[in-house]
Amino acid sequence: MEEEKRIGVYVCWCGTNIAKMVDVVDVAKEIGKLPNVVIAKDYKYMCSDPGQELIIKDIKEHNLDRVVVSACSPRIHELTFRKALQNAGLNPYMFEMANIREQVSWVHTDRGEATRKAKSLVAAAVNRITWHESLDKRTVDINPATMIIGGGIAGISAALEIGNSGRKIFLIEKENKLGGHLAGVDLTFPYMYSADQILKPLIKQVTNNPNIEVFLNTQIDEVFGYVGNFETKITPGDGKEVELKFGNVIVASGLKPYDPGGIENYGYGKLPNVITSLEFEQMLKKGKIVTKEGAEPKNVAIIHCVGSRNKDYHEYCSRICCMTALKFSNQLRSALPDTNIFECYADIRSFGKGCEEFYAQTSRKDIMFLMFDQKNDLPRIRKAETMDECDMLIEFNELLSGEDIEVPADMVVLMVALEAQENARDIAHAVGVSMCGNEFYIERHPKLDPVATTTDGVYVVGGCQSPKDIPDSISQARAAAARILATINIGQVEVEVTTAVVNEDICCGCQTCVNVCPYTAISFDEEKGVSVVNEVLCKGCGTCGSTCPTGAIRSRHFTDKQILSQIEGLMSTSIELQEV
Amino acid sequence: MSYEPTIVAFLCNWCSYTGADLAGTSRMKYASNVRIIRVMCSGRVDPTFVLSAFKEGADGVLICGCHPGDCHYHEGNYKCLRRYHLLQKYFQQMGLDKDRLRLEWISASEGRQFAELVDSYTETVKNLGPCKMKQVIETLT
Amino acid sequence: MAKEEKPKIKMAVYWGAACGGCCVSVLDVHEKLFDVVAAADLVFWPIALDIKYKDVEAMPDGDIDLTLYNGAVRNSENERLAKLLRQKSKILVAYGSCAHMGGIPGLANFSTREELFERIYDTTESTENPDNIRPQPEYKVPEGVLELPEFYNDVRTLNQVVDVDYYLPGCPPQTERLVEVFMAIVTGAELPSKGSVVGALDKSQCDECPREKSDKKLVKRFYRPFEIEDDGKTCFLEQGVICLGPATRGGCGVRCIEGNAPCRGCYGPPPDVPDPGAKMMSAIATMIDENDPEAIEKVIDTIDDPAGTFYRFSLPGSILRRKIT
Repeated sequence: MEEEKRIGVYVCWCGTNIAKMVDVVDVAKEIGKLPNVVIAKDYKYMCSDPGQELIIKDIKEHNLDRVVVSACSPRIHELTFRKALQNAGLNPYMFEMANIREQVSWVHTDRGEATRKAKSLVAAAVNRITWHESLDKRTVDINPATMIIGGGIAGISAALEIGNSGRKIFLIEKENKLGGHLAGVDLTFPYMYSADQILKPLIKQVTNNPNIEVFLNTQIDEVFGYVGNFETKITPGDGKEVELKFGNVIVASGLKPYDPGGIENYGYGKLPNVITSLEFEQMLKKGKIVTKEGAEPKNVAIIHCVGSRNKDYHEYCSRICCMTALKFSNQLRSALPDTNIFECYADIRSFGKGCEEFYAQTSRKDIMFLMFDQKNDLPRIRKAETMDECDMLIEFNELLSGEDIEVPADMVVLMVALEAQENARDIAHAVGVSMCGNEFYIERHPKLDPVATTTDGVYVVGGCQSPKDIPDSISQARAAAARILATINIGQVEVEVTTAVVNEDICCGCQTCVNVCPYTAISFDEEKGVSVVNEVLCKGCGTCGSTCPTGAIRSRHFTDKQILSQIEGLMSTSIELQEV
Repeated sequence: MSYEPTIVAFLCNWCSYTGADLAGTSRMKYASNVRIIRVMCSGRVDPTFVLSAFKEGADGVLICGCHPGDCHYHEGNYKCLRRYHLLQKYFQQMGLDKDRLRLEWISASEGRQFAELVDSYTETVKNLGPCKMKQVIETLT
Repeated sequence: MAKEEKPKIKMAVYWGAACGGCCVSVLDVHEKLFDVVAAADLVFWPIALDIKYKDVEAMPDGDIDLTLYNGAVRNSENERLAKLLRQKSKILVAYGSCAHMGGIPGLANFSTREELFERIYDTTESTENPDNIRPQPEYKVPEGVLELPEFYNDVRTLNQVVDVDYYLPGCPPQTERLVEVFMAIVTGAELPSKGSVVGALDKSQCDECPREKSDKKLVKRFYRPFEIEDDGKTCFLEQGVICLGPATRGGCGVRCIEGNAPCRGCYGPPPDVPDPGAKMMSAIATMIDENDPEAIEKVIDTIDDPAGTFYRFSLPGSILRRKIT
């Protein structure tokens, strides 16, 4: 009944990463005894060229029709090995990975248990793969237009990079002008270039570039389609609906400042001379540093890490505030030579080119650096008494001296954290990117693929991915632009074929599946009386497959049979590996 | 209890599986009792899979998906949530303790939470003792 | 129709744990009975013919061409006869829901033998049993030993006890389907592959259901049929009434639905569905139009007895088979 399968199993050492905790030789030996397994080998680095060559050679020599690699996470190397299969003339979907590194060797401490678990995961993969079927890759033409969400420095940079190469750009900006946060900045650290001098010429280039179409006052609702062929409808400020079609998306939607009103210690909103770094930046831009009362401040305190690096607010470091604070001190010192300047900090983080030098330089400008305990003892600001001869007093335990001190201030600048945009979730849903717990977007791989996302054709750049400075934002933007130009240059792209499919001989037309699909990929064919999946719109989540009460919908590559046999394989070895 | 439970876990590809990978890359240590099956979305988890896991001898089943509102496919996790609640009621009637099945949301950045979840859930299932389902099925008379 | 010269086939009908409805459905062939009798000799049929077990035991192995076994396997007698008939038959058909999936007797798998005995022999309102007498497989009397079949703890489907060739589902199967299958066998038509479900369609009930269906299957609460005024024309599910039609093979002629009662699933799952209850639970839960756990719970509270509803005819044949204690 069941035809014979010829499976090759490869157990990777990953150097010592796996081999140290898992007896890879034993795994290969035991798995080799399972039915349908023709050969089972262990090897130092399966993902290396010789590793892949080994697979290709075996496929040809042993006439293998399926391959299981037991190594790292499929999220890292599934594609690598699928390509190897393809090179050997096998359908790339005749492949399955067992994750024995991230899920075994790196997380367990008992070699016996780890080895047993590894065997069970590999056995599950072997069981599953007997039900794998060849799937034909679909190739689609790439629409050479690109949509960019966000007209800040990142969006502008990407738009110019692509637009200047002659390709169409739709640049979507929710505000009424381009420039983003940079438009509100006076000078930039560490070289004190004027932000206007950087930004204005770029905006002019964008406006003058015939390839770049800018839509201001525009929000993104829902993006349909898939890599190469996306489409959306937007309603720009003038109220007329526009339909856009494009092949790639760059999300450059930026971030927003943290509202420090939530930190009681700092009295923001209650004490009029406690202002945010953005408000101070505007003062600098106007060239007039004055208190609410209109006086020149005699004492200015700058408080770092407001809303950053603290479990109660944001745990992460907002990355640019330290340097911005130092920049403020520099500008203050030039503008108000006699004013006392206090940098109240938790740590000074001056990484990046020229930054440590900038810190050293600033520290020589008669600025008082005072350290506080960001985790447990935030400074407290209170209104001063008349006899104090200043507007406010900041009280905290200075860590380096160990003393409880009071710092006089007529103006306090809060270096507020940077956090995800209000509408970050909406955009994530619209284009199909995932978010971290703090709502910044997740890149495909934190090290190897920092601007792509898990949705093909969608890239994330700049502050929406995590707080970053201008050069980092521009680098990402241009990197994404280069990636997109490369795909446009090839003209075609392969799309996932792990979509849902309806067996019309079984579908009874109950229509339970129709509303389940978030992409409206399922419709009901009145004439045939069956549901139909539009494979172009289907993104392969498989929810319709588990909803269908008749078993008529098959989620390709995640079929009931494949998963059920995987479960069986997983459990068959949970006690002891059964011998043939 | 000296027995080591076996727990079958269904993890969605985008959030939870990535979270589990993060636990791995961060070298967090957790109990080795959980065996992970990757699905694209927690909405793909068919109750048939859960029942089969028990039939094959699982002592517990863990389903992890993206947090509500964060589903990569918008709302597959809600479908999963609805099924989970109905399954729980069915389980009660079948004499299975409600803790035999657990649904938790794990995001891609929650490696630590995943490791902690595995440890705490393993402990929970350990305290329940071995699930008799497989043995009962095999010895029906 | 069988030709005169063709030798008659030998046919047996047996009931295990059954209500008798299946045997009646065989009788319901009405005037077609003449065709049946012309083509087949009934060699064993306890409800209709006085043929003893020892007569069957005396038959050579494989002597019976076709046996329709209806009823579930609930006691040692059912099991013994299932094994005996398997041995004596060329084709063994699990006839009806009980043999196929456990059927209504299979609902006893929510209880243990002891719980059932306690109810039957102690706590029913009409029972007086001060000595706690329980049925015993053997009982010594001066004349010798009396025997009763052993009442098992579990109800099993026929294929959990013996190898089954075909399944003819229904509670009871539609007689027309039986005639079709019978005629196929006697005329020597090409039979489907072993293990097939015969006398039922691959497509499920909705395909034949006359009610108006749409994709608006969003439910804020479920109703038992008596709790709602059925409009007589809209899909039951869209009215919030649980209907197992989508996970149940067609072939019965949608008779329950024609009678304004939702489908209860006696025709069993379509091909490739190992557990119709699980599939139906999945579909039904998906229809719940709530995302908040508490609101979901509230909707589910309106499903009184999920296990008994979704596994009305299929508990012993389902993945988990019975309640554990």
